[in-house]
Amino acid sequence: LSKHGITRAAGTAVRTEEARQQQLRDIDAYKELVDLITERQYTLEVLGLVTKLLKQNPEYYTIWNHRRRVLNALFSSDTADGSSKHGVNDLLQNDLQLTFALLRQYPKCYWIWNHRNWLLETAESQRGADMGHQLWSGELLLVNKMLGADSRNFHAWSYRRFVTAQIERLTPHTEGQASRSMTDSEFEYTSSMVKSNLSNFSAWHHRSKIIPRLLNERDADAEARRALLEFELALICEAINTDPFDQSIWFYHQYLMTTLSPNCPSQDRIVLDLSNGDRQQYYENEMRYIREILEDEEDCKWIYEGLLFLAGAYLEVDSGTKVFTTADMRSWLKHLKRLDPLRKGRWDELGQRLDL
Amino acid sequence: MSLVSGPGRGVASLPAETRLVVDKHVRYVQSLDTRKDELEYWLTEHLRLNGLYWGMTALHLLGHPDALPRKGILEFVFSCLHESGGFGAAPGHDAHMLYTCSAVQIIATLDAFDELEAHMQDGRRKIGQWIARLQDPETGTFAGDEWGEMDTRFLFNAFLSLSLMGLLDLVNVDKAVQHINSCANFDGAYGTSPGAESHSGQVYTCVGALTIAGRLDLVNQERLGAWLSERQLKNGGLNGRPEKTEDVCYSWWVMSSLAMINKLHWIDGEKLTAFILGCQDPDLGGLSDRPGDMVDVFHTHFGIAGLSLLKYPGLAEVDPV
Repeated sequence: LSKHGITRAAGTAVRTEEARQQQLRDIDAYKELVDLITERQYTLEVLGLVTKLLKQNPEYYTIWNHRRRVLNALFSSDTADGSSKHGVNDLLQNDLQLTFALLRQYPKCYWIWNHRNWLLETAESQRGADMGHQLWSGELLLVNKMLGADSRNFHAWSYRRFVTAQIERLTPHTEGQASRSMTDSEFEYTSSMVKSNLSNFSAWHHRSKIIPRLLNERDADAEARRALLEFELALICEAINTDPFDQSIWFYHQYLMTTLSPNCPSQDRIVLDLSNGDRQQYYENEMRYIREILEDEEDCKWIYEGLLFLAGAYLEVDSGTKVFTTADMRSWLKHLKRLDPLRKGRWDELGQRLDL
Repeated sequence: MSLVSGPGRGVASLPAETRLVVDKHVRYVQSLDTRKDELEYWLTEHLRLNGLYWGMTALHLLGHPDALPRKGILEFVFSCLHESGGFGAAPGHDAHMLYTCSAVQIIATLDAFDELEAHMQDGRRKIGQWIARLQDPETGTFAGDEWGEMDTRFLFNAFLSLSLMGLLDLVNVDKAVQHINSCANFDGAYGTSPGAESHSGQVYTCVGALTIAGRLDLVNQERLGAWLSERQLKNGGLNGRPEKTEDVCYSWWVMSSLAMINKLHWIDGEKLTAFILGCQDPDLGGLSDRPGDMVDVFHTHFGIAGLSLLKYPGLAEVDPV
């Protein structure tokens, strides 16, 4: 129904009658399994059947629901008779192992991530906050593994955000507020991710979300805020120099520029006390740097786009600048249209907006 | 141009298709429910109602609305309806927002709310209430089902279904709108939840929901338009987010979003059309995610919907939302 990346040749071989008969047998076995599960009681045996079916088809969401019904029944029967919680632990561990294995195979399957999430929440409600803290901390390892395998997996990033929030929630209040927060470590995580791979849009994005929180938690004063901005600008400018054709880097650069705009909402700002003079200075610096890169790289559309973006931003705070001329802007626009004809409609409008 | 080649050739030697092979696609969609002797058919039962919606809509867009029998469609749709008012993917499958939305879309397209009433008394309202119960009163977003996964996809599903049934007042629209706003990123685009990375699919759902709520004023249309326009790659196809490969289904998610903010002209429509046409299987019908890959009804539907937005001749007009 929804196939990605499977070549056409793979499916067009005509089936032999033998192959067709085998498929019919497979279909019967599959349907029988489904019937067994939906007819039977909430027992360990059924759990085993569910496992079998889910391994064959992890997208069968109704069966995941059923698995949770079975587990819930087993959990409550275990505690109802007052026996040890040993059974609950085993069941949880078993499912953690199952979902881990399935996630490695199907890292983008919503239903598996959902079930894992439910397991953790259930474990916490069954076993208490200490166990919960332990388990959620363990989830960070899982997420690191998944992001190590695919740093763009948004399921993993979403889960990461959720997991860090749970760890923060469960860290004992005996520790100071500052050490309870994971913002610093998350910021470091994005640093290491972009260091190992500059072209990681997901990591840059995550970083852009952490920065406002970081500044608030550190209670950053004006000086500290400027220091951070300058650090980020230096970081991203070096990245641009390393690979000017990488769009992720330019997007992050644009993020930093948007924090300078007078229109930027206060909660998104990095520096809170910018004067128009300050803004001009920042825009000038960036333009100067990017124009230097232009000398070595004449055919990079991002550079021209970046310059026009800065020019537009600059003109909003100072219409009478001498840093660049209208002729400069016209030239950049011309190059942009030459290098990026796909988006001609957009560039035409940009030219109109900038009165070029 | 060159003759169509048979299936099984490598990508490199497939010539660009220069026209939409309508009849092949119609027959392809019609054949889908006949393949009950393939295991794949059963392994995808959890998507059946979605698949029916995609197939049926493709046929309507292609100008062949009667190629699948109305009675059969509605029979199947109603067989997925639970007492609770939610729909499952197929008979016996649990109710979920994703399938409920497809069901309502099908019923609306076929103008079959009377038939719904005949099948279940007060059906429209029951469905509306099932949907409304899934709104999280704290955040304003929606869960997919009783198990609680929250995602802006479900928010859109809810808005779309309820607005088609004239029942949007059953939910807290403002709160939901606030939630969408909290999912906006600096690039003007949207993610699955607050803090999530921008993704074309989520842009469609978020901007679609805002359109339904009449709150496009909240969108940074300049920046969003820019982000969306960058989805077009040199081969003319569109990707879902930066540094990813093209996929014909983004012809819909990206283009409809651009249409909603009146910036369709920010990408090259001709090159995209050529790309979509190149995704056809000229022999068996249907479209695939990219040229040379296996076709399926999901990509068939979204490729054709994309072509309709691009005003490809002969196709029925599609509403971007």
